[in-house]
Amino acid sequence: MAEFEFIIGDRTYLTELKQEAVTTVIKVDDLEFSFKELSPGHYEATNKGKQFSIAAVKHRGKFLIDIDAMLFEVSESGQEEFGADSSAHAAEKDKVYAPMPGKIVKLLVEVGDRVSEKQPLMIIEAMKMENQVNSPASGIVKAVNASVGEQVDTVSAVIELEIE
Amino acid sequence: MFEKILIANRGEIALRINRACKEMGIATVAIHSTADAEAMHVRLADESVCVGPPAASQSYLNIPAIIAACEVTGADAIHPGYGFLSENALFAERCQKENIKFIGPSPEAIRLMGDKIESRKVAAKAGVPVTPGMAGCAADVDSFRTEAARVGYPVLIKASAGGGGKGMRAVENESELAAAIEAAQREAQNAFGDDRVYLEKKIVNPRHIEFQILADEHGHCIHLFERECSIQRRHQKIIEETPSVALDEKLRRKMGADAVKVAQAAKYSNAGTVEFLLDENGSYYFLEMNTRLQVEHPITEMVTGIDLVAEQIKIAAGEKLGKHLNNISQNGHAIECRIYAEDADNNFMPSIGKLLLYQEPVGDGIRVDSGVAAGSEVTIDYDPIMSKLIVHAHDRQTAIANMIEALKRYNILGVKTCRYFLTKILQHENFAKGRTFTNFIETNMTNMPNSSNGMESYNELAAAAAAMLSSRNSILLYSDIDDLHPSPWQLLGDWSIGSSISG
Repeated sequence: MAEFEFIIGDRTYLTELKQEAVTTVIKVDDLEFSFKELSPGHYEATNKGKQFSIAAVKHRGKFLIDIDAMLFEVSESGQEEFGADSSAHAAEKDKVYAPMPGKIVKLLVEVGDRVSEKQPLMIIEAMKMENQVNSPASGIVKAVNASVGEQVDTVSAVIELEIE
Repeated sequence: MFEKILIANRGEIALRINRACKEMGIATVAIHSTADAEAMHVRLADESVCVGPPAASQSYLNIPAIIAACEVTGADAIHPGYGFLSENALFAERCQKENIKFIGPSPEAIRLMGDKIESRKVAAKAGVPVTPGMAGCAADVDSFRTEAARVGYPVLIKASAGGGGKGMRAVENESELAAAIEAAQREAQNAFGDDRVYLEKKIVNPRHIEFQILADEHGHCIHLFERECSIQRRHQKIIEETPSVALDEKLRRKMGADAVKVAQAAKYSNAGTVEFLLDENGSYYFLEMNTRLQVEHPITEMVTGIDLVAEQIKIAAGEKLGKHLNNISQNGHAIECRIYAEDADNNFMPSIGKLLLYQEPVGDGIRVDSGVAAGSEVTIDYDPIMSKLIVHAHDRQTAIANMIEALKRYNILGVKTCRYFLTKILQHENFAKGRTFTNFIETNMTNMPNSSNGMESYNELAAAAAAMLSSRNSILLYSDIDDLHPSPWQLLGDWSIGSSISG
């Protein structure tokens, strides 16, 4: 029957649909998982006598899966570029974003400062807590695009670095 | 008894209070900000009043609007819950003036015990041990430097108006002192509108032990045993349990009696909590008194069978402590896990978004106090606590096992939560052995190998299979288009707060 590739992190998994009835059986590597739908998006999975609860939803082109309190983000092969979110910033080490929308309460560096990796750069207040944002890389501060007291989002870089 | 109570809060605690009122036949009024117009606490109350825009300072902290909501709806009492105005003496005073009963202690007791410096004085005067430190607040770095040298590092900088770890900083040596004072002052100013801070000695390797107090307005005061809340991240509790493994009968009696002494010295009434730090030698120090219902109150309810919110309401209505409170005992073991919307892999940064899927665990001894449902939005406007998972069993070992199982069966998609992290704590051998100290997470849970263990790679395979299943599933209930989301009320069904409290 049908085969599909799914990607989690940097690994690709070949999945094979073995049976589709009241219980659906899907094979991944050498393991066969049987699924029974309990409510929309909520399944009971069985593999070799082990039973566990799985929740799955499709959101912005990705599958979000919850198994035993662990979260997985799964892409369909060929669809990896889908669903840009804040983690899309991960590759850009020369730009520093707010991890979530919030207010800048303190900027700890100025343009021209030399910073090392993991050095605190700014403090953002969100949900009543102060969150420290550290430098993703060593380098020189090229630009500071916001000021203390300003509300920032996660889309525009607050600090830009020139990586050494 | 009151006819109508206004609940001046939101989220899970507003629902918890609403339930107690309903069980007592009391009508309820919810207040909400414009951001919460569709929230569960609004839907489940008999009436609701919008008190302002999303910012808490203009809505849930808006005293004139809340008093007006009482007048408009004819509510004769206000339950403040925890957080927001629950420990605001001015608010309690204003209620008194307006002839609305504030369900909590007197403004005088709130003011006295809400000030950490003053409450330390009360405890010391009552003969209860307190940690060494400043007798009053200071603003100049030099006074802090002198006092730190006197009591010895490490020290804590604390906000006098503080609570929940806000405005608190640990300082290991003098070089960190100035920056810590500044950060604590700023956080205190933002959180409490009061930037006064002081210094006390940091007790090394303590446990956090607190005693639940109930006091009526006729001078009677009892305690309902301890809760151990040593498992904390960023100075906020995430797992609480009762009884504590660290207390034997003798120490329990002594600390309980001291907790009652503190409450009586403060002329306290209603529910309150006296917090202590317990060191490894069995010495304990008064930490602070919380003049309100605690987040973790359900574990006390589970082991004592007493409904604390109902008791609060009866006390506020002028009743004496009932006979059923005369012979309370600790029955079994209860654990609570707080379910925050946050990312445990990223320094517990709050996580926001819409709950795409939300499924609570059910079973014997499992209680979920929740403020959300599928479709609920977790926004940056408020504290990221979504719910509390509480498990009650005949002994600690069973309670831990049942909690791990319940966390695994609690499915939440759309925001990140600390559920997996909580299971790792509960599975840790030091937790099993009761070696629970307030530095538990720093000591045991940081620098854990990041590479996936056997369970994680197994689950990853299952996740790939589930993705396949999901992609095959023709019912795209949760599609990419937000408009296709069913409303939380369609999904709600015959929703209720977990299972009922049993003794």
